[in-house]
Amino acid sequence: MGAFQWLMKKITKAFGRSTNSLFYALLYREILKEVNEITKNEENSLLILREIGKKAGYESCERHSGVFKFMPGNPKKILDYFEILWVVVFGSELDDFSYKEIPKEGSKYNDYVLSINKCPICAGYGQDKEDSFDFNKLQGIETEGLACGLCGMLESVANFILKIKRNDYRIQIIEQDCIAKGGESLKFICKIHDYNEWAALSASRISERNTKGIFLDEDTEEEILQETKLDIFDKIQDIISIDKLEEYLDEPLESLKEKVAEIIRDKLNMEPEHFFDYFRNYEDDMIRIIGYLGMHLLNEYGGLLEKTLKNEWFSKIFGYLFKQLKNMTLLFIPLDVIRDYNKLLVSFIEGLAPEEMVDNIRLFSGKDTINYLFEGAQMALENLGIDFSELKENIWEEITKEREDGLVSSETSTADKTREKIPQLINILQEFLMIFNDILTLPIRVIISESHYGIKTAINSVVSEEEGLYGSIKERFDNIFDQIQDIRK
Amino acid sequence: MNYSRNELIKTEATMNQMRNSLYNLVRFMEKNGIKNSTEAFRRMGRNIARTYINYWKPTDFIEISNLKDVITTIYKNVLNSTISIEINNTEKLVIIKDNNCALCKYHYDDVEIAGCEVLLGMISEFIYLINKESTEPNSIFLDPIEVKESRTNGNKSCLQHFRYKISGGA
Repeated sequence: MGAFQWLMKKITKAFGRSTNSLFYALLYREILKEVNEITKNEENSLLILREIGKKAGYESCERHSGVFKFMPGNPKKILDYFEILWVVVFGSELDDFSYKEIPKEGSKYNDYVLSINKCPICAGYGQDKEDSFDFNKLQGIETEGLACGLCGMLESVANFILKIKRNDYRIQIIEQDCIAKGGESLKFICKIHDYNEWAALSASRISERNTKGIFLDEDTEEEILQETKLDIFDKIQDIISIDKLEEYLDEPLESLKEKVAEIIRDKLNMEPEHFFDYFRNYEDDMIRIIGYLGMHLLNEYGGLLEKTLKNEWFSKIFGYLFKQLKNMTLLFIPLDVIRDYNKLLVSFIEGLAPEEMVDNIRLFSGKDTINYLFEGAQMALENLGIDFSELKENIWEEITKEREDGLVSSETSTADKTREKIPQLINILQEFLMIFNDILTLPIRVIISESHYGIKTAINSVVSEEEGLYGSIKERFDNIFDQIQDIRK
Repeated sequence: MNYSRNELIKTEATMNQMRNSLYNLVRFMEKNGIKNSTEAFRRMGRNIARTYINYWKPTDFIEISNLKDVITTIYKNVLNSTISIEINNTEKLVIIKDNNCALCKYHYDDVEIAGCEVLLGMISEFIYLINKESTEPNSIFLDPIEVKESRTNGNKSCLQHFRYKISGGA
């Protein structure tokens, strides 16, 4: 799985409002039953459930349209990213699925068939007496199954992405096989239509519903015709597109240096050498400033760091772990690795900064550089609200014990709730610490592989993508997102 | 081999689209002349509890002393919600406050019913199903009264009101 797919899945899962999957599946079932109470016709009920899903998906996309602007805007790629669509809509991983391309003559895009062996919507359907929607009453061969509402949601999300990316194609997703109906797997057929075909299909769907006496608001279809405005996300995408993340990883160090030089020339109207000349003989301060600015840059994302540190507990935990990190980095990271890190800095500024300055930095030991970075970062954290002089020696004692009867206490204060989250916070920060350690091993790989295969090779290490640095960092971020999910509960 | 419902209990699903579906259901009901959508929502909640309890139940017996903890556990395990509960013994009221209700998030001008009417049905049924076989004199039962406030109606949090009664008691 690509870095972008993985990142989108994790963000969607960690920051969405989730409930237990069984509650989700039962609520879905009840919506279908209530629709059927009204229509008294199983086939019509499934048509309506699909429309309800479609409208629900569209409404959700409109509220979070910014997120979808980073998705690829090509129908073929959207289907490649079906796993993300599934996670966006359902919030759970898409397990055990296969994907088949069906050639379609005379068309720009082929059809696709997705077989999903495990469907959470159909899970255990028919085992409880409240599973009373009767699939045996369905007559039509082409009638969809229980997941038709989910199908409507997926279709809506896919087409919303194409709409905001100003693509003229649309995707039709039809449930072809359903486990609750007796199928072996959940099977979706995805057809890609050009704008005219899609308009005709939409009109025929509306007319079919009208013939059956099903009247719904038809606003969704019309809104797809609207042109969307260019906004900040479009401008950002002119510079960087997250779906090209992996391409950026291929760029070698030289390209990165060229880009930095371009930015200095473009934004500051000066040659890189003149810019770096300002720091000649103050090289240690320059490194402190990097640490200082690094922390403030982190805070730029909505002032999240500063807001978090306003909470006394978070502030103390963060400060405590920062202090540990500062001390442990030099204890646990081999000096050779730290020296490599320093060599990378020297390689990076060579050619950008004056020769004398490069020589001065070359005199720093790796230990000096790390200490300067930490000093700068600590100054920034003090600015942002951590009082390092008041830190506790041990925060583990704050962890509360679970109750023996398995019930959750209703009498919890805000302080108790914060305390409950401490183990997860500690785990998150520990994972970050480990990521930091992993990254420290990167420089030597970058230097060796720069002239051969670029940063991506270095990140992937010599073993394999999963076992190398990329795999290690990915695993740690998986843990971090899991902890965030726990905290949000 | 598909998932079982026991497996679903161990996983989570994102509610965004499902929550929206609930309000689209209300719109569909209104378009079709259904006036008692509150009753329909509570019926849905009761049905959810009847199936759910076959796979998980928080405890074997509920009385006034553990009522708060049982309700808190149900909200936590089923809905991922951290709630606060107030019991008014004079009026025999149980008031649940949920600042992050799974079924209500946005204010809708065209919908009057709150999504958490489903939860009124579900919670009261859960408690009924746990205590119905009990011969204990102090078993407690809840009757849903109303959703007093809801984020769907523009309030900051959802306030769900129930009336409790104790079997064989006052």
